[in-house]
Amino acid sequence: MTFTEAKRYYVERRIWERMAATGATSFADYFARLRTDMQDEIQQFVNAFTINETYFYREDYQLKCLTNDLMMERVRDKRAGDTIRIWSAACSTGEEPYSIAIWLLENWPSVDEYAIEIVASDIDTRVLELARAGTFGQRALMRLSPELIGRYFAALSGERWQINPQLRDSVSFTAVNLVDPGQTWPHGRFDVVFCRNVLIYFDDASRRVAAENLYENLLPGGFICLGHTESMSRISSLFEVRRFADAIVYQRPERKPS
Amino acid sequence: MSAGPKTILVVDDAALVRVYYRAILEEAGFRVEEALNGLEALEALLAKEVDLLVVDINMPQMDGLTFLRILREREDPLAAIPALVTSTESAQADFAAACAAGANFYLVKPVGREQLVEFARMLCGVSP
Repeated sequence: MTFTEAKRYYVERRIWERMAATGATSFADYFARLRTDMQDEIQQFVNAFTINETYFYREDYQLKCLTNDLMMERVRDKRAGDTIRIWSAACSTGEEPYSIAIWLLENWPSVDEYAIEIVASDIDTRVLELARAGTFGQRALMRLSPELIGRYFAALSGERWQINPQLRDSVSFTAVNLVDPGQTWPHGRFDVVFCRNVLIYFDDASRRVAAENLYENLLPGGFICLGHTESMSRISSLFEVRRFADAIVYQRPERKPS
Repeated sequence: MSAGPKTILVVDDAALVRVYYRAILEEAGFRVEEALNGLEALEALLAKEVDLLVVDINMPQMDGLTFLRILREREDPLAAIPALVTSTESAQADFAAACAAGANFYLVKPVGREQLVEFARMLCGVSP
């Protein structure tokens, strides 16, 4: 793993989090704990950099944008009953694709008018297993109302919740490396792709390749949502910037640029 | 019909639609079973006691109208189970075809929460 200067804040934040978790009084104190591997701190430290902390309804302004604008645009040239395909391209442990499903069920009045297909992928097969298992802790559900939790989850013991099996089965999980067109292309073209907070971890070359692959996986006029700190304009000129009330998203132009 | 909560079989090929209807109907006090097409629905009816069908029209393997025609031709109590057809087809001809196939009621998608519960209660003879 390499971190450039641009990732400094990300690195610092993770270290601060570990300092807080271990009760270290200073960086020197924390560093001493790390060097002596006190209470398995090396593993904890590595996990802090590799395990993505995520939760339901994260960056929900994009979900608002999805139902307020993107879906309306995508169905304009569709007939009722047609398929709408959504791809959660770096789904980690499943919070994002399940959030998309719940958000649509709760906020898009036409949810039963179209056949919505949600594909969720990640490069990491371990997180995909967790996503398919669909059990979540309190932290992951902190943004959901008790009403929504009651509607879509069953309480397990130890402050864990299990997503409804029917909701789980409405999302197809699959392993995909975004940099490999042989892995992205077979999934076909989508109306909307969510690829949030993943390209930031790629180097420039991989980021460009991933952006080109994602472009190929979009229907003409299809949208891609990145994380709020990310900008496609700095990565690729293939996309058009679309500024909606709730979010800025990127669009594959309807026609190829001449 | 048995006492206790009424059971509704939702027949729709779109997974998210089944989740949507299930959440609405369960909150209104119904039990919900699911089938992905007409063929699965016929199988489910032989195995489970069902009080109401909520049936989509366009489905693979066996569409909703074929399913209803086959069901209504049966010479057993299954033939009388009420059916609420939900469809994206809003033309008068589609409505007429559904009624001819044996639909008791026809709702054009999108179906709202209150609307679904209201008609499910009515067709099941349940008061709110």
